[in-house]
Amino acid sequence: MNRVHQGETGMKSVKLGTGLAFWGDALRPAIDMVERADIQYLCCDHLAELTMSILNKQKARKSDLGYTTDIIPFLRGVLPKCHERGIKIISNAGGSNPEACTEQVMELCRELGLHGMKVATVTGDDILDRIDDLLADGEEFINTDTGQKMAEIRDKVTHANVYIGCDGIVEALEQGADIVICGRVTDAALYLGPMRHELGWAADDWQSLGAGTGVAHCIECGGQATGGLYSGGWHDMPRLASLGYPVTTVTENGEAILSKTPQSGGAVTVGTVSEQLVYEVLDPANYLTADVVADVSQIKLDQVGPDQVHIHNVKGKPAPATLKVNMGYRAGFVGEAQFTYTWPDAVKKAKAGLEFLNERLEQVDFQAEDTRVEYVGHNSMWGPEVVDPPDDPDLQEIVVRFAARCPTKEEARKVFTESVPLYNNGPAGASGIGTRPPIKELYGIWPCLIPRELITTKTTVREVQP
Amino acid sequence: MTLRVWDLAHGRSGDKGDICNIGLIARDDAAYTTLCQQVTPARMHQHFGDMIKGDIERYELPNIRALNFVCKGALDGGGTLSLRSDHLGKVMYTWLLRMELDDE
Repeated sequence: MNRVHQGETGMKSVKLGTGLAFWGDALRPAIDMVERADIQYLCCDHLAELTMSILNKQKARKSDLGYTTDIIPFLRGVLPKCHERGIKIISNAGGSNPEACTEQVMELCRELGLHGMKVATVTGDDILDRIDDLLADGEEFINTDTGQKMAEIRDKVTHANVYIGCDGIVEALEQGADIVICGRVTDAALYLGPMRHELGWAADDWQSLGAGTGVAHCIECGGQATGGLYSGGWHDMPRLASLGYPVTTVTENGEAILSKTPQSGGAVTVGTVSEQLVYEVLDPANYLTADVVADVSQIKLDQVGPDQVHIHNVKGKPAPATLKVNMGYRAGFVGEAQFTYTWPDAVKKAKAGLEFLNERLEQVDFQAEDTRVEYVGHNSMWGPEVVDPPDDPDLQEIVVRFAARCPTKEEARKVFTESVPLYNNGPAGASGIGTRPPIKELYGIWPCLIPRELITTKTTVREVQP
Repeated sequence: MTLRVWDLAHGRSGDKGDICNIGLIARDDAAYTTLCQQVTPARMHQHFGDMIKGDIERYELPNIRALNFVCKGALDGGGTLSLRSDHLGKVMYTWLLRMELDDE
């Protein structure tokens, strides 16, 4: 059922829906979309920088974990409709365990009676088990930000996944897959795969791939292109609680019309798309991905109808010789405490409370690499670097947040335990300390590169049997 | 009346490791011209002080009247390590929106 869409221009086109933009994203927009919008593919990004560290930790604990579990309730919500309408699903929910994810997805298909569905798994991005061999062969994994060699963090590495391109997804679709489960493919690849498959772009058609990547960037963060977070006029944005996610028609010339689910909240305007376009971009003329270098610096956006923006004038250049590696390492723990003081003398008491906490921490030989004090409601988003602590003697109330980066969990825990006595031993009128906050383990990201010829991806397609 | 970046532009910001990028979108052509003239990396260093420890690079997207600022060393070691409440730099752009401009 490979439907070829041809618009009035006679050009081939493909209709892509954005299903999810991160692990934990709302399920409703995708459910509304498969019911109300005309799409052929539902593309879902579940992975952020930090997610792979969390997933690898889960896999280490239990070998059938390590994928983003939201894929199951998500598919439960959309799959019957997708099956009925022939909508294919592309997802990177596989995380650090695409095989285990595929098993669960196939089990769900059986439970829903969707026999005959083809589920593909794309692997090859995970190089954790290859690191020592690669180091022995001369790869250095130099930190591209700091120039440091990887040896310094070798024993703390938790995961190493290469951002791979869309080749495996294209292969899966060519083999008739209905659902494609990937690990750490690039966000853009989730969209570029179906574009290449449907529009017949060659793997070295840099212009088309560049244009498609520019489009993918506009829609990969879901509601952030359709009115979510819109700073240009948030007060005029209709029905944000029922926000519609992007529905995009890409034509074979690489241009696109970005719209959203009919009768949904939000809006698609040149303003909303512009804000998303500049989100998490470095040099816009050199937007690096595994598949292509896109140039969005001369992009044009035109409003061509209500909730319809035409995206065009994006260029492409040959793909880089190296691929980016998402490598994570254990980097200690954060301990946090938060407490509130009220008028009279709220600010003076807050500062005395902090002295009390610091003194108690000294008494228990507290070890921290760094500490931070923020006053919530005053400078918690900026810190003392640019906004001084409060000094208004008449302040109604003030919240103090104290955070410390510590080498061990035990040290991090001291922040909470030593702040508890503020309740009854400290300066008058402390409140709002609350329950024991979870101690957060920290992961550093080690940005580095690997030559692309060292990475081979593998695509496996299986059919759901009764 | 004080003229601020917010009078001329809206924006968005996000993270890539220890880099925070801040995008500004001008409200019209005249606003874009003023932003190009006045919102320079040097001016931003003054406004952000120690919040941005590394270099700031500025890129232009003229057809959508946007400027993109790539700010290095801006997230206390990066989103996954930062002790800041705003560890992903989600509201860094609002600090830029507050920056005062010369009203010509």
